[in-house]
Amino acid sequence: MSTETQQPTDVDRSFVDRIRTSPFLNELLSNRIAVVGLTIIAAMFIIAIYARFTYDLGAIVDTKFGTNPSQEAPSSEFWFGTDGQARDIFPRVLYGAWFALKFGTATVLASTVLGIAAGTLAAYYGDLADNVIMRSMDVLLSFPSLLLALALVTIFPESLGLWRAVAALTLVYTPRFARVVRGAALKVLEDEYIDATRALGATDPRLLIRHVLPNCLAPITVQSTLNYGLAIIDIAALSFLGFGASPGDPSWGMMLSEGVERGLFSGAWWWSFFPGLFLALTVLGFNLLGDGMRDALDPRMRDTVD
Amino acid sequence: MVSKRFVAKRLLLLGPVLFGVTTVVFAILHLSPGDPAVAIAGERASPEFVDQVRSDLGLNDPLWQQYVRFLRDTATLDFGQSYKIQRGTAVSQILADRLPITIELAILGQIAGLLFGLPLGILSAVKQDTLTDHFTRVGALAGVSIPIYWSGPLLILLFAQYFGVLPTSGRISSSYFVESHTGLILVDTLLEGNFAAFKSAARHLLMPVLVLGIYSMAFISRMMRSSMLEVIRQDYMRTARAKGQGAKITIMKHGLRNAFIPVITIIGIQFGSLLGGSVLTETVFEINGIGTLLVTAIEQTDYPVVQATVLVFAFMYTLVNLFVDFTYSILDPRIEQ
Repeated sequence: MSTETQQPTDVDRSFVDRIRTSPFLNELLSNRIAVVGLTIIAAMFIIAIYARFTYDLGAIVDTKFGTNPSQEAPSSEFWFGTDGQARDIFPRVLYGAWFALKFGTATVLASTVLGIAAGTLAAYYGDLADNVIMRSMDVLLSFPSLLLALALVTIFPESLGLWRAVAALTLVYTPRFARVVRGAALKVLEDEYIDATRALGATDPRLLIRHVLPNCLAPITVQSTLNYGLAIIDIAALSFLGFGASPGDPSWGMMLSEGVERGLFSGAWWWSFFPGLFLALTVLGFNLLGDGMRDALDPRMRDTVD
Repeated sequence: MVSKRFVAKRLLLLGPVLFGVTTVVFAILHLSPGDPAVAIAGERASPEFVDQVRSDLGLNDPLWQQYVRFLRDTATLDFGQSYKIQRGTAVSQILADRLPITIELAILGQIAGLLFGLPLGILSAVKQDTLTDHFTRVGALAGVSIPIYWSGPLLILLFAQYFGVLPTSGRISSSYFVESHTGLILVDTLLEGNFAAFKSAARHLLMPVLVLGIYSMAFISRMMRSSMLEVIRQDYMRTARAKGQGAKITIMKHGLRNAFIPVITIIGIQFGSLLGGSVLTETVFEINGIGTLLVTAIEQTDYPVVQATVLVFAFMYTLVNLFVDFTYSILDPRIEQ
């Protein structure tokens, strides 16, 4: 046993310890807006998991003519009413949380990973790599995001369903992450401990993964959180426009699309109201949390002088 | 004034960006699984006819030749003819008809956003951490979280269906015929001197503009708040107060201009989401702008229309940001260095 392990230094502290004493986390939890956001998101995750394991997807997609009344207003039996296919809207809206979080997570995860790769490579290798990577990102950023997503969706076969939207939006969001990561990484690379680590003979991948990346985590997390809400709202938008979920799918965007198209003028407001409400709430949750995170990270925004 | 060097530099940068954008659009269209020749000839056409169409379109040429031709056509604004939506009509003509509709909507949405967003942001910053501030901030966050394709239908339900005070869709009541001069319906009705038609158009535009405006307002008020908070703490603000100037005048005279500068760049970037939002708004309110054009073109695999529309959207976005950069450098000359 070496002596180092017996005398814990800052570097050796366990992950849990680090989290517990993190000023960022303290700041975040004392921020009421962020806590409200976190609560909404936690509730949505619970709903999503509950729905996923309680309801049978096939059963809530099938039409229910004969068993249920069609376009029935909310009642004690059908809390959120029924839609034009006589399906109970309540379980469908709950299952929508699973759809939104599953595909939202996939989109954010994929664009974060790609963005980290592109951003750190650009920052670390500089010169030509930096120019080639960042100028390509600039080109992608010159498109309004939803419109680029609409165009990109056409590349992927329709059979992919919602994964089409995930793939298109991943390509759309990656440049944003790349920019954030590159900026953060450039700052970290200037620090002396990077030179020290390099002098000790660390390889490039080790330097990037062990030292540069952990120090860029804060801005990446904020960007991911804010982008989470955007991903969910954009995936639903693509479904609404007809380029995502298949008809009948319990995705909020698809339910909204069907509800607006066929339910709005027949008076069945509940058909689109409840999916939209849950969608807006979820997105609000992520925006509240992201906003709170940004405040917690940006010391200028903390306390007012005077 | 903007220095010539700055303008030249930004214009030079515009070239590669537009070239890149065009290349991306070319790549997207060529990666799409659909076959344009089948789209034109129809699903039931004989293979020989499809082949004929394919070679007529030049799709059998090497890729680089097609690419060069595409760049040349784009540079001369020749986007070919529509396959389906308005078969045989020049795409540039379709765009010329529909583009003003989207521009009008986006500009009005932006104005509405600024009109409400700026005062709210300032109020929120000046009254930081009071109830007004919390209310405005959460309201702003709610504004960016509510999807347009939900708030739009809700407004239709409320004002068109329930109260019956506003029309549900379209741009103007079908009982009016307005000659197109500018394509902007509010301007055209005024040019014709037809005030009844103007009123009808304004009533039709109210909800779509409101929906777009809420989104834009939420965004702008957030940015204005944080920018104002930063400015309020500057020394020159304290100096102005110390020399006996009132709080309101100091904020209006010194605070506003300095806080507004960073917000301008955000407005440029945010214009992109406004354009995306206009696609959704047009779909919800059945307005025939280039947003609905793009959606229909993708659905019907009308490739020339798809590529031209996407290009026009990207060009508009790029030009707005260029314009924003120039405005920025006029307001804050330091940026040029």
